[in-house]
Amino acid sequence: MAFGIAPDRRIILHFDWTVFVLAIGLAAIGLVSVISASYGGHRLINPLVVRQVVWIGVGIVALLLVSLFDYRALQSYAYPFYVLVIGLLIAVMIAGHATGGSRRWINLGFFHLEPSEVAKLAVVLVMVRYLREEPPKGGWGLRQLIVPALLLGVPVALVLKQPDLGTGLILVLITATLIYVSGLNTRTMAILGIAAVLIAPLSWHYLKPYQRQRLVSFINPQADPLGSGYHIIQSEIAIGSGGPQGKGFLKGTQARLNFLPEQSTDFIFAVFAEEFGLFGSITLLVLYGALIARGAWIARHSRDRFGALLAVGITAIIFWQVAINIGMATGMLPVVGITLPLVSYGGSSLIAMMIAMGLLISINTRRFLF
Amino acid sequence: MNAQFKQRRTRIGTLTFALVGLFALAMMRLLALVAFEGSRLDSLALNEHSGEEKLAAVRGPIVDRKGTPLALSVERRSVYAHPRQVLEDSTAAERAKLASVLQVSDRDLESDIRKPAPFVWLARRVEPAEAHAAEAVGIEGVGALSEYKRFYPESNLAASVVGLAGMDGQGLSGLELEYDKLVRGQPVELRVDHDALGHQICDTPLALKGPEPGAKLELTIDSSIQALAERELADEVATSGAKHGAAIVLDPFSGEVIAMANVNADPNNVHDRLRNAAVQDAFEPGSTMKGILASIALADGAINPNKQIYCENGAWMVDHRTIHDDSPHGWLDLANILEVSSNIGAAKIALSLGANRFYDGLKAFGLGAHTGIDLPGEAAGQLNKPNHWREIDLANHGFGQGVSVTPIQLAVAYAAIANGGLIVRPHIVRAAYDAEGNELVEHPAQVVRRAISPDVAHQMNLLLRNVVNGSDGTGRKAQVDGFLVAGKTGTAQMVNPENGSYFQNRHVSSFVGFLPADDPRLLILVVLYDVGHGHFGGLVAAPVFSQIAAGALRDLNIAPPTPTYDTASMIPLPKLEHPKRGVLAISDSDEILPVLTGKKLIKTTPDFSGMSLRRALEAAKSLKLTVDINGTGYVVAQEPSPGAPLNHATVKLELAPSTDVLPARASSRSRKVSRRLMARAGL
Repeated sequence: MAFGIAPDRRIILHFDWTVFVLAIGLAAIGLVSVISASYGGHRLINPLVVRQVVWIGVGIVALLLVSLFDYRALQSYAYPFYVLVIGLLIAVMIAGHATGGSRRWINLGFFHLEPSEVAKLAVVLVMVRYLREEPPKGGWGLRQLIVPALLLGVPVALVLKQPDLGTGLILVLITATLIYVSGLNTRTMAILGIAAVLIAPLSWHYLKPYQRQRLVSFINPQADPLGSGYHIIQSEIAIGSGGPQGKGFLKGTQARLNFLPEQSTDFIFAVFAEEFGLFGSITLLVLYGALIARGAWIARHSRDRFGALLAVGITAIIFWQVAINIGMATGMLPVVGITLPLVSYGGSSLIAMMIAMGLLISINTRRFLF
Repeated sequence: MNAQFKQRRTRIGTLTFALVGLFALAMMRLLALVAFEGSRLDSLALNEHSGEEKLAAVRGPIVDRKGTPLALSVERRSVYAHPRQVLEDSTAAERAKLASVLQVSDRDLESDIRKPAPFVWLARRVEPAEAHAAEAVGIEGVGALSEYKRFYPESNLAASVVGLAGMDGQGLSGLELEYDKLVRGQPVELRVDHDALGHQICDTPLALKGPEPGAKLELTIDSSIQALAERELADEVATSGAKHGAAIVLDPFSGEVIAMANVNADPNNVHDRLRNAAVQDAFEPGSTMKGILASIALADGAINPNKQIYCENGAWMVDHRTIHDDSPHGWLDLANILEVSSNIGAAKIALSLGANRFYDGLKAFGLGAHTGIDLPGEAAGQLNKPNHWREIDLANHGFGQGVSVTPIQLAVAYAAIANGGLIVRPHIVRAAYDAEGNELVEHPAQVVRRAISPDVAHQMNLLLRNVVNGSDGTGRKAQVDGFLVAGKTGTAQMVNPENGSYFQNRHVSSFVGFLPADDPRLLILVVLYDVGHGHFGGLVAAPVFSQIAAGALRDLNIAPPTPTYDTASMIPLPKLEHPKRGVLAISDSDEILPVLTGKKLIKTTPDFSGMSLRRALEAAKSLKLTVDINGTGYVVAQEPSPGAPLNHATVKLELAPSTDVLPARASSRSRKVSRRLMARAGL
């Protein structure tokens, strides 16, 4: 039963509604926010909204298909999929579609594919594939981590070249999470920790000027309020002026009047918070919290190591993206381009995350089949 | 396997715990943003996306009683720009063209549109054609708004009364200030939302309402009499060497200010729009006080008009100080004291009156208090409490020293003598109308209080005529051909503000009077400030009075009365043009005619007997009656008779020349009638 699309009653019976409902709820909030972000004062429905609706639809179908699918089959596709994604990342560099100074998209005619969104899934898969082997006694040592480092290094280098600092950061964080959970040697952990602290200042040299400015602006946004500090200030203004109740659907001024940058993607949280206030944004956080807790729960209860680690990886994608995105929107973290999973506008991100949710459901369902 | 499984679960647990912490942190941060910084961020948001734009309202015109405009506003256009939008959408060549249209340098324009503001003015109050040309350059983000420029078509006529409005259409002085709220109109303040590029988003409902134009003020001022007063006053200021002069022409019954002139000798501020001495500056009145003193003393009964008072041959010691007369006099009665303006006589009258009674009388005449005229910055003058008066102060007050009045106070006090004893509230705005012509404000004649009884007013009327007509009268130069004039001169030493003593050779000379004395229509006050020794009120102010009076009577088509009759038997009657306006709480007469109750129409016939033709017609008009006139002179008979039911609104009146019908009995009857009429008019 390698390809388990067999109509097994138990798959329907043990379908994980929690993940499904949370995913749909977040996508709905996302749709509302995209409508707000793209509302020009006249028509509610515009091409942006239509595309998002289509992607949510495609995403749900993908989620359902994947949830019927036996995730263990992925073990044999992990490396080919990884290679494919690396190929796409290289293709982006050559033939990519550039916006705002970075090449991130491949034009497929009907769809602008953003390989870096898919790369997150690919890296999770390939890492889980490698780490499914039991570590030696005491946990992973430095020597066993050479292969994961290489597997991580290639896509990170390609993503940073775009440049897409945010996705690079996420890839590193996901991998670190997976290595930690799959049994990292305590001593190795300490060595890597110290190394990271020492290397961090050196990375300053490799940052592009605009990235350095963002770091400076993060520490003091008022240094250049109309330049690099603009994003943080505008985002805080939108969130803060929303108040506890929010300004109401379509009544947010900062987003609609285009003061808020990247409002349908990276700063969609601020759009939502402005219109739905503190109550709305805390509701959103609770939904994410529930989804992540559910993912962690699935990971803990999965009987096989591959499934558990896959659940950890998927949950890590969501967790790190949410944490960095909201941290950035509220001015706690410097600005890096990271989407809010399932909520931000964008087909690649949305469909990839829906597939990930399908995998989570699949992992939880299969628990009952072994 | 089991150990690995356990470690994995522990580590997942650890991570879950860490993420709960991070989420809690995020929530606290959100809470902090909303709760502690919410209001600051909210105002930042508001500042960022909305600006206030003011659509100016056109300032209302100010016109005189005949509709001649004294202040008008004309439309000008002001060109503005939204800098960010202009920078985005225009080329340098287009901007250069705009600069040349607006006649500014390219550099100035560039610096304007590089300002970090959502809105800047490029040129203000330019000709509409120029603004149109600027808009026609076609740069997105450049537009023009209407603004208004104030100008005064009659140049400096009544400048100190009309006052001044500033660049942004706000009243600064005079009527422009006093009635600013009405005249200014309702500008519309638009809260215009704009996007991050400065494009306006006009979906605010506020934008639908236009600014509301200001009200039109209709003044009681008569421009031609005002011009006459200013001209005559200016001539006299020049010839007499006065520093400045003021003149007021008042309707003594209604308190309407027909003219109020201020003329300054200093060529740098000949027409000072910011200062109105007639209302704002108090001066020691000098001998004009004697008329008020005499009124108070007569009303009080302190003096018998026939009693002879010894005037000490020109010098009299009171309280170790000597009071002087200009020329020595012996025994004089009240009429003579006023006629020759004896200080000693006035001092003796004041002393016999006593401080408290004199003070109460002065208060009743409105001294030491605002008249309530509708002009800004009115002074109250100086009237000390009587318990501070020494004997010499009391004596000095009698001839107008130690007390100060504004010209308008003095005019109103003498108007009371002219109108039968009532202090009226002077006013200069008759009515205000909105753009549709609806009356917003109406100023009826307003009586403040009664100062003296009609009998005393009548006595004073006769005594003051003597000042002008008597052989020794100080006011002989105030005479006007064909008319009886009543009035009083005044020549007061100026107070040295440094030590409170009097200048020996600096005077304020004045004349206040009314005419025709038997039917007062005009009260005129002329004051010349800071004239040299010898420039008595009777010499410098009285001729100005005469000139203004003669011209004003001509303007008002008031013909000399013919034939002359025994005017002494008549007391002035109130005007009845607007009986509903004469609302008054005073009823010192218990003779209320049953003719009018409230606003109901007459059911009984009024008593017309003894009225002149003019009075009878006025009364009939105000009571909405038609009259059938037979004969000339004064009413001797009427049909239906007084008090009879009035079935149809026509009354037949029989008139006869006064000499035939005004024996003592008839005259006392006519006085009674006039009292009744006053009561009916609410006076």
